[in-house]
Amino acid sequence: METSFIENLALGFSVALSFQNLLFALLGALIGTAIGVLPGIGPVATISLLLPITFGQPATTAIIMLAGIYYGAQYGGSTTAILLNLPGEISSVVTTLEGYKMARNGRAGAALATSAIGSFFAGSVATILVAASGPLLTQVALSFGPADYFSLMLLGLIISAVLAQGSVLKSVAMVILGVALGLVGTDVQTGQQRFTFGIPELSDGISFVALAMGVFGIAEIILNLERPEAREVLKTKVEGLLLTKEEWKRATPSVLRGTVLGSALGILPGGGASLAAFGAYMMERKVSKGRHMFGQGAIEGVAGPEAANNAAAQTSFIPLLTLGIPANAVMALMVGALIIQGIQPGPRMVEAQPDLFWGLIASMWIGNLMLLVINLPLIGMWVKLLQVPYKFLYPAILVFCCIGAYSVNNNVFDVYSTAIFAVFGYMFNKLKMEPAPLLIGFVLGPMMEEHLRRAMLLSRGDPMVFLQRPISATMLAIGAIALIAMMLPNLRKGKEQAMAG
Amino acid sequence: MKINEKDVASGLFFILVAAAGLYINGGFLGIGLEQHSLGTPRRMGPGYMPMLVLWGLMILGALTLIIGLFEGPDPLKRWTGLESGVFGSAIVVGLAVGLLAPMLSPALSSGYAALGLGMLAGFATLCFSVGWRLMGFICAAMCAFCLLLDTGGLMLALVATIFISAAAEPEHRARPVGVLGLTIFLLALCWWVFIDRLDIRVNVWPQF
Repeated sequence: METSFIENLALGFSVALSFQNLLFALLGALIGTAIGVLPGIGPVATISLLLPITFGQPATTAIIMLAGIYYGAQYGGSTTAILLNLPGEISSVVTTLEGYKMARNGRAGAALATSAIGSFFAGSVATILVAASGPLLTQVALSFGPADYFSLMLLGLIISAVLAQGSVLKSVAMVILGVALGLVGTDVQTGQQRFTFGIPELSDGISFVALAMGVFGIAEIILNLERPEAREVLKTKVEGLLLTKEEWKRATPSVLRGTVLGSALGILPGGGASLAAFGAYMMERKVSKGRHMFGQGAIEGVAGPEAANNAAAQTSFIPLLTLGIPANAVMALMVGALIIQGIQPGPRMVEAQPDLFWGLIASMWIGNLMLLVINLPLIGMWVKLLQVPYKFLYPAILVFCCIGAYSVNNNVFDVYSTAIFAVFGYMFNKLKMEPAPLLIGFVLGPMMEEHLRRAMLLSRGDPMVFLQRPISATMLAIGAIALIAMMLPNLRKGKEQAMAG
Repeated sequence: MKINEKDVASGLFFILVAAAGLYINGGFLGIGLEQHSLGTPRRMGPGYMPMLVLWGLMILGALTLIIGLFEGPDPLKRWTGLESGVFGSAIVVGLAVGLLAPMLSPALSSGYAALGLGMLAGFATLCFSVGWRLMGFICAAMCAFCLLLDTGGLMLALVATIFISAAAEPEHRARPVGVLGLTIFLLALCWWVFIDRLDIRVNVWPQF
């Protein structure tokens, strides 16, 4: 029975507007903004920290809060980027370029308003895209066989490795290392223990939370302590938040362009908010009317990237919700959260859990609205937050990590694992090995194995099936092209330039 | 030959992990720790996917290593003599304490106390060198948390964690008053969030 779009949206809003879900959406948005403002802690670390807390809640509520943290962080990062030349998030680095200059010119308020309104518009459009894509992509995905799934996941892994910073070769190796780590535990099909060395806590596999917290959260603390940041407090007052007519005229096309670019790049595995922000900045520099003013505070340089990063943050949910494939590290954490809640992400999720899907979509829009309304008046408070010295923050983060890691399974082995992974995370950073592909590989590995086995069983052991099925062959071809393309020096330099800003 | 030391080290790491994994999996000509049956491509045994993945890792590790010999230069920060020595002794001390602890007292052989003590000793040893100090303190703090949680209760474990991790920051060592205030605040906050609101199952107060 086909339910209409309107009916689905109505379901979504009824779910999202429940008191509990509203509360958690607000909580997520506030926490997200706070960590977006604070340098040294980002959405990945925070979400892995808060994962254990979400287990006590129903799945919809949990995902609503975690999603709020993700797109809230995009809003928060812009605030410090504009006011203090301090990007709270990687995706806000670009905003510092023009936004801080605008603040020096006395237009801080306008920059902040542009960023907030542009982000809200982009977020709304992107939310509609997510809503539309769900049923559409689900139809497509239902004709997928196990071989197609395997190839799709492989493609996702390849693209996330290709678009990661640094060496593509090492990132692919990190993906494979992640898959290998995901194999630890009990083999589902035969019941045999693999790589567990007789440790009972490992029979369910390495704790996902321990891996995420150790590599992303704790290693980050150690690295942050190594580089004491110098903070320059901007004394300019944030005056009127209103934009002049001319600024509206200049910002609007940038917001539109940013929305389109961000929506597209967010869907790409390995894409996400940072890539979208950089891409939009590059585009505005080439295309916008005010491009000669870049470097002295051009509003297009704030409007475009800010719209893009928010759009990307929303649309990166599309591969997750419709195909079960995480587009970036944050989405990998969401997959982990869903699996622990007992939900199998994939095309069936839209029909099996309609209130999760539609509730999340409605909540994303409500969350964006909350952020727009709350952030501008509360800017003073966010800036005060920045004055809490890191030396008081990090023990708090550490403590939350310890309790969080323990509370997943009520055993200390997980906390010991976190400490070990922290050491590895530190090593990864020093050796320039990217951790995000590791996490994505870890999450997708077990699923890929299942599909591989099933595909081979159906094809009676013939590996050619991956090339014979058209969907699978297309996926593999795209993956191969992406790999080869990134190995070409020109494209690699272009990517490095974009990453370096 | 312009050596990219970071890539060479990364490649080595991948190769070592892959080799260890393959050894355990039983992929090398039947020599293996846990013999996982490989099965046939049609009916893959538990050892099949690990074999594929680990061989892939080995190959990529080797490629990274070889290419890293020419793509340089990207030098690693050289360890001082003290840093290398401390690193080595940390591993030795950690293993020694971990293996010997159960023999000292029966209470220490249950649960993961031996593992925890070994790790704690190892990380504490790391604190002797400036380069390793931060990691040593932070990870030692986590180990202290684990060791104290069961018998000492959450509050005691948190106090230990906060004190030890605060020791990593020179400003805290200079002005301990801040640490005290922070500890009280965090104890109250954690009690409210985790015990009162979330009701996690853990001993709060010391059991002795």
